[in-house]
Amino acid sequence: MSTMTVNGCPAALPDDPDALLIDVIRDRLNLTGTKLVCGSGVCGACTVLLDGQPVVSCLLPAQAAAGKTLTTIEAIGSAGLHPIQKAFMAHDALQCGFCTPGFVVEATAFHDRWRATRGSGIPSREDIAAALSGHLCRCGAYDGIFRAVAEACAGRFDGNAPIAPRLEARDKVTGLARYTVDIRHDGQLEGVILRSRVAHAKIVGLDLAAARAMAGVAAAVSLLADDGMVRFVGAPIAAVAAKDRRTALQALAAIKFACEKLPAVIGLDAARQENAPVVFDRANRKRAGNVSEGGGGPAPWNGNVRGPSAPFSQKAKRAKGWLTDARAAHDPLLVEETFRVSTQQHACLEPHAAVARFAGDQLTVHISTQAVHETMEKIAKRYNLAHDKVQVIADHVGGGFGSKGSLGVETIAAIELARAAKAPVRVVFDREEELSVTGYRPAAELKLSLLPSAQGDLKALSLTAHADTGAATNSLIAGLARLIYPAEAKELVDFDVLSNLPPGAPFRGPGGPPMAFALEQAVDEAALRLKIDPIQLRKRWDPDPNRQRLYDWAAGLDVWKNRRAPSSQSGRYRRGVGMASGYWLYLWQTGSSVELAIKGGRIIASCAVQDIGTGTRSVIANTIAKAFDLEPQDIEVRIGHSNLPRGPGSGGSRVTASVVPPTLLAIEKLKAEIERTAARPPQPGSNAPWRELVAASPDLVVSAKRQHDNKPPLGVRSPLRQAGFMGLVFSWILRTFNHVVVGAGVPSSVQVMEVEVDTWLGHVRVLNAYTGLAIGKLAAPSLARSQAAGAVIQGIGYALYEARETDPSTGHVLSSGMEDYRIPGIADMPRLDVHFDEAGFDHVPGGSVGVGEVATVPTSPAIANAIRAAIGVRLTEIPFRPDRLAAALKGRDAA
Amino acid sequence: MSIASVIASAAEFRAAGTDLSERRRSGVSAGPLIDILSSGESGIAWGVDGAATIGALTTIAAIAADAHVAAAYPGMAASAQGLATPQVRHLATLGGNLAQRSRCWYFRNPHIDCLKKRGSECPARSGNHLYGVAFDLGDCVAPHPSTMAAALLAYDAHVVTNRRDGLTIVDLLGDGSNGRADHALAPGEMITKIVLPAPLAGERAAYKRAISRTYAEWPLVEVCARAAIADGKFQVVRLVAGGIAAVPLRLSACERALHGKAANEAAIAEATRLAAIGAKPLPMTAYKLDLLEGLVRDLLESLAA
Repeated sequence: MSTMTVNGCPAALPDDPDALLIDVIRDRLNLTGTKLVCGSGVCGACTVLLDGQPVVSCLLPAQAAAGKTLTTIEAIGSAGLHPIQKAFMAHDALQCGFCTPGFVVEATAFHDRWRATRGSGIPSREDIAAALSGHLCRCGAYDGIFRAVAEACAGRFDGNAPIAPRLEARDKVTGLARYTVDIRHDGQLEGVILRSRVAHAKIVGLDLAAARAMAGVAAAVSLLADDGMVRFVGAPIAAVAAKDRRTALQALAAIKFACEKLPAVIGLDAARQENAPVVFDRANRKRAGNVSEGGGGPAPWNGNVRGPSAPFSQKAKRAKGWLTDARAAHDPLLVEETFRVSTQQHACLEPHAAVARFAGDQLTVHISTQAVHETMEKIAKRYNLAHDKVQVIADHVGGGFGSKGSLGVETIAAIELARAAKAPVRVVFDREEELSVTGYRPAAELKLSLLPSAQGDLKALSLTAHADTGAATNSLIAGLARLIYPAEAKELVDFDVLSNLPPGAPFRGPGGPPMAFALEQAVDEAALRLKIDPIQLRKRWDPDPNRQRLYDWAAGLDVWKNRRAPSSQSGRYRRGVGMASGYWLYLWQTGSSVELAIKGGRIIASCAVQDIGTGTRSVIANTIAKAFDLEPQDIEVRIGHSNLPRGPGSGGSRVTASVVPPTLLAIEKLKAEIERTAARPPQPGSNAPWRELVAASPDLVVSAKRQHDNKPPLGVRSPLRQAGFMGLVFSWILRTFNHVVVGAGVPSSVQVMEVEVDTWLGHVRVLNAYTGLAIGKLAAPSLARSQAAGAVIQGIGYALYEARETDPSTGHVLSSGMEDYRIPGIADMPRLDVHFDEAGFDHVPGGSVGVGEVATVPTSPAIANAIRAAIGVRLTEIPFRPDRLAAALKGRDAA
Repeated sequence: MSIASVIASAAEFRAAGTDLSERRRSGVSAGPLIDILSSGESGIAWGVDGAATIGALTTIAAIAADAHVAAAYPGMAASAQGLATPQVRHLATLGGNLAQRSRCWYFRNPHIDCLKKRGSECPARSGNHLYGVAFDLGDCVAPHPSTMAAALLAYDAHVVTNRRDGLTIVDLLGDGSNGRADHALAPGEMITKIVLPAPLAGERAAYKRAISRTYAEWPLVEVCARAAIADGKFQVVRLVAGGIAAVPLRLSACERALHGKAANEAAIAEATRLAAIGAKPLPMTAYKLDLLEGLVRDLLESLAA
């Protein structure tokens, strides 16, 4: 048996030639700071130092490390933080933290090499981007990473550890933060899922006996629905738990069943054809998944097409009539275009994962989830358990973006296998599962007509969206165009087009980016035809007070004022500046509760909320610290456990606006209790009287529930109240069934993008991004900036690179690895200017609303408008890949 | 495992495993393995005539960082610097880069049959071939994945195996007509070293790939260009493109058009127009010809500058 040296200690290497170094590190040595993400050498999360060189441990045969020295994240900073770690903490160069250990390992090697050869010279963005080009971050922490690496190399973090704006930053830069995939109980088994390899079939005669009988197999359970149907490639059939993953996979092969294949239909165009096979017949329609965060209204079905759904239309017939007339009259102001958006995968770096354990009748499930409390309730309901018998835990979550909000098959499989095996079971999706069956933002075809009046007002708008929802319904894209740019009449119609593809899921501002992609390009086009500055046209058409202020900010930017006339360039490289606007709803969850306690002179805040990289801990800690003259690090924040006071889910950008107000209420209560119970008042003239009182306080507990907002100023209303009767109906549905209130005021974003197009190689680069945000006061400013930066880079991915690709006949997802599903890298991050306008939400206690979704809505149309300005061609289909640029520049249709 | 049993069992050689490990994990490759990382040749040796002999197990990073390579074979150095990611380049070997299997998403999917595994036809041809070939030479439509093969073809390199000497890159990879194979090595045959002729006096070279992001992406199209320019005229020109065919392709028509011509914009523009001669794009790959022309023009201009 050969050995290697790991972090200074000898370690044996397995003889198995197929054992990979990552598996030895994580599973045998239990060094879980090193993460497995792509498994194909693309993302760098598994990076370790082998004889001092950064290498990917996911591709390296374990035996290749024989006789070598291995350094993992656990050894970096173990004897005092490395300057890179301190810089990452100080610059908030991380969000969910799942990619962070890989980045830190690589960056420390770069830093040490740089300083050995270059002294204290500062590396350029290009130097840093090249060095870190083998790493991917889905949250998009690149902006902070650039700053952190440059400043660490310049020697600015050689001293003491800085105060990190993110409360848990130290755990994330040292690899100590434990995610669901890192959980390891004694006797834990590994669960894997048998999935359909055909797109449409009835499964009969499922026989698990042979699998159960195999050595090392502890349980096998069926995951089939009662109708035995599979409606997409990857639909779950059964699950197996065994002593290790390899044994479990072998057992899958022993499961017997017959597959009665049915005709399948794949994708938006095929599913709309006359004689297309039907995915859900009338009796089974309720089995379809849901691509939205809330419930939807009823809608008619016609084959695979569900719709029209048009609750937010306004004088639709009149809009139609005016548009027909304008078309007949060849009105030069009539803008008509068909846009297409691609399917965007969440591509969370931590895959969907769950670890279930029963202790007597007590069920504990670690889940990579966006909703610990709600998931606990769903598990309790599904398995008929009392709430106090189910505990859901998510201490750290490696990204979610909307895909981890529901009770997923990973959790169901883990629970059912653990129950059958009478042992803890972990189910972790592999990358193929993660990039095919965990949901996505549906592709869509968007037909838009926009008609300005002769006076230059917005007269009529028609938007019809057909969304490629797979085995799911409830897309809302066109309807979202009701809440911006009031017009005399609007026809807004949504259709779901179902096919034998995996179901879509909510994704960061569901429906928002596709709607904006079409509408904001049409407004840009209208401005060109009206010969008016696009910002000035929006100022005229869009009365929202938050965006009015942002338009003024954008109009004042030098990059906007100095932009070149559209289509004025002819060289190889052409630059253009474009802008777009976006909004999202301000949501908060009723019943959200925060408990504050003083224990041993220290404040402890508790809430059954979770942090998916967004900064929940810091938002709570900052709010409390400010009130008691303390530092955020002085506050202990307990979240991520469902048995804490009920907290909101991380969806709909609702967390900040749900937890800050009750925290403020609880602070008032705690202060009153402290004063009531204080043995003596603070020293006269103390500059931190509350800090003294807390330190001297007896143990106390108070709690508070989310209160109502204050009365907003005149003219500031819930946007749904501007959407007629159906707006009120939706408000009621959201409040009653989703415990969500749509508050007054509209979180808004205006973005300006400068791009450069290489017309020879069809390459688009975003050079500079300016994002203006009106989301009220910042509860955690550095983290709000990180969210804004991450939203922009994710929007750049949507605009330029990302598309799920499928096989048109079998329905296999082809882009199921991270080399073929292309998320942006650090070199794709533009220089970024973030502007926060903190007015507009003073009626919200604390004044803060969420940022995550609104900040990504306008990015893709702003880039499209910038490309239009650069090359004089409007590209109507994203992503704007080289194949599409090449075709557009040649005046050809892209494939 | 003996060579004879390797042949009998269709075992695969494993160098650093940067290609093979993923296929082993997914189940696309499941036969016996024979590890060669600790037993093969690595390092770069220079002959008195200035020719280089590179051990097959030399890492891509070592080639990318070698100052002598950068001076003598700048097109190869740039190719090595441009492929994969830094962490993969630290592991991956030159021999492994030449002998790697296709990156086609049908081939890599363990649940789909194709010519390269079990199947009798190419599912990408009738399916989704967005990253497929634009020069349709055989029954498989996946481009050859080896960036180094294109560079070595441009440098007229020879390959030595444990069985044969003096293989050209064309001998090694075939003509692209056999969709079942990624190379023409016999079972049990292993690349041991690569021999490059001495560089020509005054020659220059450049390499570039067209991709959608900035870094770390398999090339949509890539070109390695090499030229000796004397008295303001192109003397020797080698243009090799990858990403467009089942094997790296010499752009012979371009090369011929440039030979003896003044190294100026007009000659380059004329040659660029010949880059796509003989192309047979698939329904989804016509764009690759635009990118090919763009790359050829870009590289020739930089060489002539």
